Amino acid sequence: MMIFSTSWFKQSIRLLRHELRRGELTIICLAITLAVATVFSLAGFSGHIKQGLLSKSTSFIAADRVLQTSRVIDPLIVQKSEALALQRAEQVLMSSMVFAGEKMQLAALKAVSAHYPLRGELLVSERPDASQSQSKNSPKPGTVWVEAKLLTSMGLTLGDKLEVGVSSFTITGIATQIPDASFSVFSSGPAVILNILDIQGTQLIQPASRISYKYLFAGENDNIEAFDTWLKPQVKDSQRWYDIKSQQTPLANALNRAEKYLSLASMLGIILAAVAVAVASRRYSQRHQPTVAVFKAMGASSAYIQKLYILHWTLLSLFSIGLGLVVGYALQQIGLYAMRDQLPVNVSNTSWYPLIVAFVTGLICAIAFAIMPLKQLISTSALSVIRGFSSEQNTKFGKYGLQYVPAIAALFSLLLLFSRDLVLAAALLVGGLLVSLILLSLGRLLMGAGRVAGSRAGKSWHLAMANLKRRARENSVQLISFTIAIQLLLMILVIRSALISEWQQQLPENAANRFLINISEQQVPQVNKFIEQNKLFASALSPVVRGRLSAINDEKVVKKVSKDEDKASDQGRRGVGRELNLTWRNELPKENIINEGQWWSKQSTEPQVSIEQEIASRLDITLGDTLTFQIGSETFSAPVTSIREVNWQSLQPNFYMIFNPQVLQDFPAVYISSLHVPQASKAALQNFLGQHPTISMIDIDAMIGQLRDVIDQVSVAVEFILVLVVIAGSLVLVAQVQASMEERERELAILRTLGAKGSLLRNSVLFEFVALGAIAGLMASLAMELAVYVLQSQVFDMSVRFHFEYWLLGIVAGGGFVGLIGLLSCWRLLNMSSVTLIRRTM
Amino acid sequence: MTLENKTLNLLKEINLAVHAGETLAIVGSSGSGKTTLLSLLAGLDLPSTGAVYLKNHPLHQYNEEQRSAVRASHVGFIFQQFLLVNSLTALENVMLPGELANMSNAKALAYDLLSQVGLGDRFDHFPSQLSGGEQQRVAIARAFISRPDILFADEPTGNLDSETGKTVTDLLFALNQEFGTTLVLVTHDHKLALRCQRRVVMDSGELEEQESVMASVS
Repeated sequence: MMIFSTSWFKQSIRLLRHELRRGELTIICLAITLAVATVFSLAGFSGHIKQGLLSKSTSFIAADRVLQTSRVIDPLIVQKSEALALQRAEQVLMSSMVFAGEKMQLAALKAVSAHYPLRGELLVSERPDASQSQSKNSPKPGTVWVEAKLLTSMGLTLGDKLEVGVSSFTITGIATQIPDASFSVFSSGPAVILNILDIQGTQLIQPASRISYKYLFAGENDNIEAFDTWLKPQVKDSQRWYDIKSQQTPLANALNRAEKYLSLASMLGIILAAVAVAVASRRYSQRHQPTVAVFKAMGASSAYIQKLYILHWTLLSLFSIGLGLVVGYALQQIGLYAMRDQLPVNVSNTSWYPLIVAFVTGLICAIAFAIMPLKQLISTSALSVIRGFSSEQNTKFGKYGLQYVPAIAALFSLLLLFSRDLVLAAALLVGGLLVSLILLSLGRLLMGAGRVAGSRAGKSWHLAMANLKRRARENSVQLISFTIAIQLLLMILVIRSALISEWQQQLPENAANRFLINISEQQVPQVNKFIEQNKLFASALSPVVRGRLSAINDEKVVKKVSKDEDKASDQGRRGVGRELNLTWRNELPKENIINEGQWWSKQSTEPQVSIEQEIASRLDITLGDTLTFQIGSETFSAPVTSIREVNWQSLQPNFYMIFNPQVLQDFPAVYISSLHVPQASKAALQNFLGQHPTISMIDIDAMIGQLRDVIDQVSVAVEFILVLVVIAGSLVLVAQVQASMEERERELAILRTLGAKGSLLRNSVLFEFVALGAIAGLMASLAMELAVYVLQSQVFDMSVRFHFEYWLLGIVAGGGFVGLIGLLSCWRLLNMSSVTLIRRTM
Repeated sequence: MTLENKTLNLLKEINLAVHAGETLAIVGSSGSGKTTLLSLLAGLDLPSTGAVYLKNHPLHQYNEEQRSAVRASHVGFIFQQFLLVNSLTALENVMLPGELANMSNAKALAYDLLSQVGLGDRFDHFPSQLSGGEQQRVAIARAFISRPDILFADEPTGNLDSETGKTVTDLLFALNQEFGTTLVLVTHDHKLALRCQRRVVMDSGELEEQESVMASVS
């Protein structure tokens, strides 16, 4: 092609070849490479982590998605899932009495199909002592697996018969871990797992029986997402379509926050990388000004220069992007390899998304951040060969700050590309710009103050501060990028610590691992005595009365979910559809917050009820409404005087409805308590329960163990991302220091010529960078505090506090790190002989 | 020229004609306006009033692009700071104007010229690997490759010691004679000025002609 023989093409290639070899393009190349590598590894890695965590944690619902309904579903749904090659399993759940001779027990029946569970493991032991559990799917027809407590309470052992409905089953195993076991304290009795093929035979499925069907789906992520999109609009009010993250569990919450954190960290990584590209392209433009001027003086037209440099830049960008992809891939693999024990991920399952996002990021960075510096470069006047070069040409772009428009637009599109959330991207951008403006003015002020202070200090400090002040314009740009880098690092650090400590708080060493239920009023003193004697951590015993909400403001609510569920409203106001656990107490429970109204005083005699906010909004109940309840044959009413927010994640007994004692205390109640039983006290508890056989115990040790595992893995993942972001941040600092090197070189040459001593020069360079770093660290801490406040209160929904210990870290680490990098970068210059220095710069 | 609110008249009432094949030295003290005049003559800058013609091209009416085109086909340059492109080798630096003027034999010519200035064995060296004198010799070779009609030299020996300066000057004048180029050089070095056929003196923006002499070119 003609183009290859044109002189601009040849010259462009020639320039690129020599400059690459001579290391003149290292910084810009490194910056783009870094941007691409950061994005690639972060996107890929966080994607892998999310996938890995989800596939591990989905074991809590035994599937990727679950459709829960009270009726058999439309066969179309099954067909669609088959078309998408999804795995499917079914469950029929109901409560029923089971019998063994004279003994009976209310049990939670769980009839499962052959492929259950799709995620996680159902562990079953075939030994009487429940040891050596093995992973199983569904019991053979005619057999059942039961939880150990059923055997204890009914005095049965393996091989015994159990009657369920009109059928008789042989107990062949003890279920030691049920992946989707209920978190609910009020679940109706121990589980009995049977084969779904046997459920019809029991004749328990009757027109009016309360049955829940669960349809479990699992498969490739894309297929599951496609299925989700297709099914969601068809889900009826009475049905629930959920995944692990939509569950109100501590785990879902941990996962949601971890995911937000990973996205945020990745976005901050991109901002850091973009800053590096912006810094480097400015330097690229400045370094090439003499070349352009010489070309122009010799008669090269602007069009010629334009072609030459567009090609030069394009080739350089493509080369760097390619390199970035390779480095990013390597980083990602190293990360996954390092975490292989904590998080087994199918490494071969690489999606194209990170690759595409990284490539697009590289392009956006290469185009948008470089377009203004390149424009400026191309417009370098030929006269500069005689008059010298200005670093900033006073164009109308420069005057009105228009040169930043493409860069800001690019940053915004990058944030949008990555977060796919317009509000978040806009908030980050506007917040960032405002903070930068404030920082700019603050930085100049501090540098001015530094100069005054420096003039009273030693010679090196004086020189350092004078340098800072003299180059205020360049330094403030430098200061902002130092500040942003340090700020983002601090943010990631602070939020990481807050997340991890909150997770750990949720599961403290003495988190409740046992629930005692069905405690009669007479047994309350004995239970309290047992808790006291064994020095156990326990919640106060809460009374429970089961009752039905029968009317709201005298308007009757639907008693039972009708056959035609979605027309429920025709027959009256929407109700709960089941009995509720009601309690009474004088004090607001610890983990509850009053959102509306007021908690009652101890002296109040009027009946009052406090309602949980979600059920209030679901039933359209507002403050002041009168609720009527039915307990047995008695009814009573109470006005709603407060609406509460409940932390369902606390492993404590929680209630939708709490009354003041006057209302309920005369009804017969059972009591419930959650307690932490350490290993040493387990035998004592067993003994105690043996003496009080009517008290039931729920063991949630296994569940807590699984939860702790997942949270540990999330923490490791979060730390790895932190390391990646720290690398990105450090490289920005290096790029920024490098960018000011030529200016310094000239200065050092002059100072050397004037006879400055080596130690003076070294110290002045060191102090200048230390001061710059410390100022940046201080400003970064301020900005971080602001950003963390917004993030914790708006995004992560966490409690907010100040982090002064990180201020110190920001200032000290900022000063130390920038000082060190600065000194190291200048080391070669500092050790050059005066002659060499002067030769190089004059 | 307007600086903030003050107007500075850098050059006043200047009439200067340079004839083809002539060698002209513009001398004067620092700040007298020599370099400004050179910038105008070469079309690097534009006068606020007045006219500049180069080979019948009205440079004062031309835009940047048109002036670039005139420079590419008629003008060569030698600068005090050499202004070689640091990332190109000596050979590539010399080839540069040839390529800009689309000369097909730029490489061969560049070899020849580098040999003529005594750097035949240094063609693949980068500017940073060359001494000041050597760099200026590369710049001279570069200036002649496009066979310019007129060569502008801004203090060509200003950054060189007297010995090296003499060598470079000798080369410059030898090549100039060989190619019959018009030479305009700005200097405050009287010895160098004396080697030109004609000298003008700049003083506070005004031009004063010295008597015309035939310089002996060694």
